[in-house]
Amino acid sequence: MLARYIRKYKGSYILGIITLFIVDLISLKIPQFTGEITDGLEAGTLSFHGVLRYIGLIVLVGGGMAIGRFFWRYFIFGASRRIEYELRNDMFSHLSKLSMRFYNEHKTGDLMAHFTNDLAAVRMSIGPAVITTFDAIIMTIMVVIKMVVYVNLKLTLLACIPMIFILIGGVFYGRAIERRFQDKQQAFSDLTDEVQESISGIRVIKAFVQERAELKSFAKANQNNKEKNLRVVKLQAVVMPLLDVIIGISSVITLFYGGYLVFEGQISTGQFVAFNSYIGMLVWPMIAAGDSITYFSQGSASMKRIDSIFMEVPEIKDEETVDRAITKLEGEISLNHLTFRFQESFPDVLKDVSVTIPKGSTLAILGKTGSGKTAIANLLLRMYNVEPGMITIDGRDIREIPLKTLRSQIAYVPQDNFLFSDTLQTNIAFGTRDLIDLPEHHKKFSLFQSKKERLDDRKETDLYSRENLIDQAYGDLDQVMDAAKMACIHENIMEFPSQYATMVGERGVTVSGGQKQRSSIARALMKDAPILILDDSLSAVDTNTEERILAHLKENRADKTTIIIAHRISTIQNADRILVLEDGKRAEYGTHEELIALGGHYAKLYKEQQLEKQLETA
Amino acid sequence: MKRSEVDVERSVHGSVFKRLMKYAVPYLHYMIAALVLVLIITGLDLYRPILMGKAIDLFAESADFNAVKTTAITYLLVLIGIFVCNVAQTYILQLTGQSIIYNIREEVFAHIHKLSLRFFDVTPVGRIVTRVTNDVEALHEMYANILVKLFRNMVKIIGLVVVMISLNAKISFYAFLLLPFIAGLTVLFKSVSRQTYRATRTKITAINTYLSEHLSGMKLIQIFAREREKNAEFEGKSKELFHANYREMMVFAIFRPSIYMLSVLSLVIIIAVGGDSVLKGAITVGTLYTFIQYINSFFEPIQELAEQFGTLQSAMASAEKIFTILDEEPLIVEKENPVHIENIKGRIEFDHVWFAYQDEDWILKDISFTIEPGQSVAFVGATGAGKSSILNLIGRYYDIQKGRILIDGVDIKDLSTDELRGAIGQVQQDVFIFTGDINSNIRLKNRDISDEDIKKAARYVNADTFIEKLNHTYEEAVTERGATFSAGQRQLLSFARTLAYDPAILVMDEATANIDTETELLIQEALEKLMKGRTTIMVAHRLSTIQHADKIIVMHKGELRESGTHQELLLNNGLYKKLYDLQLAGEK
Repeated sequence: MLARYIRKYKGSYILGIITLFIVDLISLKIPQFTGEITDGLEAGTLSFHGVLRYIGLIVLVGGGMAIGRFFWRYFIFGASRRIEYELRNDMFSHLSKLSMRFYNEHKTGDLMAHFTNDLAAVRMSIGPAVITTFDAIIMTIMVVIKMVVYVNLKLTLLACIPMIFILIGGVFYGRAIERRFQDKQQAFSDLTDEVQESISGIRVIKAFVQERAELKSFAKANQNNKEKNLRVVKLQAVVMPLLDVIIGISSVITLFYGGYLVFEGQISTGQFVAFNSYIGMLVWPMIAAGDSITYFSQGSASMKRIDSIFMEVPEIKDEETVDRAITKLEGEISLNHLTFRFQESFPDVLKDVSVTIPKGSTLAILGKTGSGKTAIANLLLRMYNVEPGMITIDGRDIREIPLKTLRSQIAYVPQDNFLFSDTLQTNIAFGTRDLIDLPEHHKKFSLFQSKKERLDDRKETDLYSRENLIDQAYGDLDQVMDAAKMACIHENIMEFPSQYATMVGERGVTVSGGQKQRSSIARALMKDAPILILDDSLSAVDTNTEERILAHLKENRADKTTIIIAHRISTIQNADRILVLEDGKRAEYGTHEELIALGGHYAKLYKEQQLEKQLETA
Repeated sequence: MKRSEVDVERSVHGSVFKRLMKYAVPYLHYMIAALVLVLIITGLDLYRPILMGKAIDLFAESADFNAVKTTAITYLLVLIGIFVCNVAQTYILQLTGQSIIYNIREEVFAHIHKLSLRFFDVTPVGRIVTRVTNDVEALHEMYANILVKLFRNMVKIIGLVVVMISLNAKISFYAFLLLPFIAGLTVLFKSVSRQTYRATRTKITAINTYLSEHLSGMKLIQIFAREREKNAEFEGKSKELFHANYREMMVFAIFRPSIYMLSVLSLVIIIAVGGDSVLKGAITVGTLYTFIQYINSFFEPIQELAEQFGTLQSAMASAEKIFTILDEEPLIVEKENPVHIENIKGRIEFDHVWFAYQDEDWILKDISFTIEPGQSVAFVGATGAGKSSILNLIGRYYDIQKGRILIDGVDIKDLSTDELRGAIGQVQQDVFIFTGDINSNIRLKNRDISDEDIKKAARYVNADTFIEKLNHTYEEAVTERGATFSAGQRQLLSFARTLAYDPAILVMDEATANIDTETELLIQEALEKLMKGRTTIMVAHRLSTIQHADKIIVMHKGELRESGTHQELLLNNGLYKKLYDLQLAGEK
């Protein structure tokens, strides 16, 4: 998975590694020059002019190294940042393809941790780790070559024996650290989750005075995070100094065997001393190797976690049977023996429901809590898959219709009225705004930030004006107002100080449940789609407003299909057909009059609600 | 009330480091132990070449293998000593770092839970989560590594300066000639990196906030087929973070080689001056050689120091954000010695209450009423009349500006908020469901509520019918926000939750709006049983739920217009009558 991204930037990596190699090679030049200067001065063969010549060379090499050091950072760290950026985008884009089933099983806080901690670990493994690894390899090779060329092959081989342990040990260490690191990342995920839930539910927690209990349960997650971190650290704390010991053992071997060679006259004392300092030069590459293993293992642990998101196959997607020619829907819907359950082990939510909704007609669905009303809406939107043929629209199986077409041709008002942290205008226009070139906000790279930028970064609130700019760029205020008028929310919005530019959602003003619901209706109406589904969407609206909204619908959606899910008879009695669900089964079906005449469940409910009204009048 | 983070940050900034150090105080002995270990390790490290030299000398002189063996064993012992000290040092420091992080996290989390609702009204969830998780995480490096390394490098630098000056003052002067440039560069680096770090932290927060909201709202994005647009929007945010990261990287990529270049220049100066002196016979070649060695080891800690300052900057950037939250004062302050009421009976009195969320934007204007224990009262009025605010005020989620609110004759400001809220059962408009199971959602985290109590509560509000139908009944897993339940089921769960806590006062906000008529009748019946002996306050739109209340209060634009029973108000022929007629007309 990661390989694909690295391949894309292989040019950068190769250039970076070549630069690194050159820098390592010429880095040996400076000690060589200074050595030659001191030797020359000692021997008295060097004039001040000669010293100056060397100085020129040193500055040249030093300058070259400085530039080289800039460039390997630029190439490799730059590439790793780009990969991180692309990976982050691809993760989000993949998440946006996953179906509701995935979101039912995964928590927001956990997913967020993938974007922060795991991505950072992956980046370390494709940035700094690459540098340390190659640096270590290049250095080791250069040192070993020197050992063999200038001193003795056998001595080199013997001295390198302990390093084999580093190689073997490295594999085990890598595996162990990967496991522990994975646990650590999981602990961090859990911690994030704990906080996310606790903050989201803060109103409940405060109302039920559960702050102390929350603290206790947070302390548990916090403690677990600490322990899992320490488990990683414990291993590192032992292994890293161990590398030093192993190199030390190499020194001891050198001491004995090298000493023997000196004794035998095979190498000179000078070579022996040099060899010892070469061993000293290996300490750093070995520790770097240990670091690299740690980085790579952590990166791989995190990549596995990220991969597990990418491995999630979007359940709901355009299949091979899809007919791309369908770009518009008429709105004739037919359910044929529709049976559905959320999961294999769960009971049926819908059982053998058959009903046809002709184009331009209104179907009302009535039923108790849990009778399967919302399931029908979810299935029409294809949030879940059903057996072929069970749902057809315009005579075509729902799976033959491209997902994008299906969902753009259905306007839906959900039960929970989720609004984004944005202006009311953006929220209502949510379904109609296609990508346009927005005024570019981020600018080209510059090392220094402008004063305004600095201020923006600190405030985190410059978005306000940015969002208004976006609204202006789309220029759809008139259409938004029309939709809002139809949903009877226009007057309320005009009463806000900032009117349609009012921010709602997490960062905005508090809007009441009823206002949210009507904004949500406006959002759906703005789409002017051939099919409209109102899922219990008039519950927080008083009956008078409800009537006005229904009248608007009748006026504006004469030849379009509408499905209304509701509890109140007043909401649905004017529908063309009424479907009564009971335990997922079609219990009654017909017009208001037919169902009254039938004297079944609907009639009973009608009587009850009539009675209530009479009681009120009494 | 737009909170300006700039102002808060500025006031905080000066003392950030001092405050960070306060957290280290309890672990001072650990840190000192680590420092001692570092000194021992450094000493032993210095001893290693001496031992090696001794062994080499032994070979050259006598080839006495026994003497070499002793030296080798000593060498191995030194190695083991270094190893043990290293292990202990690393572990102690990491333990310190983790412990401090643990403490800070706990403090931040606990502090956040003390803050008033107003804070949560204006602060996105994602931002708060970032503070507790990522921002605190960024401090770890500082406590676990940087502080000790900073100390070690400073000691190294000072030591080298002393040694160099004592060796030859003139050459030392030339060696330090470039120090002002290094200092200047470091200061520049410090200010630039501070900006870039700050920018990065801000962008990370922005991404997290975006993720937190859009991952919860993904269903809506898919239903409206806005994936492409939202992906593009995310890419925009992601790009901003990328740019901030990139800038950070570039700052380092330029800074480090620059320092290196300065070290080369210093070396060159020494060679020029030293070479000249050698040629003039002022110093020996040996001295020059030593200085060349020293200048190399002199720049190593300087370079590290600068980078460690960088990490410190990053930690400070996070710390600023954390302290901004810690400095957030809870708006609702409990009295020091709160009055304790043995058994809250539930008499509620509003005494000329004025309330505004901000400034003089009055939501409630001079509201006075009294509710006797056991009475049920319904608030009626159009949206924005101030009904919901009244419910929030009883639990003291916001403080009023003028007037008094009394429970059993005691001002709620004199009560402990825990006791006050514990006596009030709230059924909220938006039901929040936690991840867990049915049991944990009714019980929350209160262990005193037994499984039996839960079942009883569920049965009472008729939630048991749907719960019993679930595969694992009360142990059925509930996903985040209760996504697999219908609004009605969530509503029923929240009823059971409220009942399990057996409150003296019942507060309901449009609670019955989402339930079908049949279920609603059952609930109505349960509520009637419930309301007996409990003071009940509700906000509802439908007259059928209101008219059985003992008292109806009609609100209009923040003012109390009428109050009385259903019949009294109808006879009054006022606002209530109008609302009633409108409602009837609508339901006809």
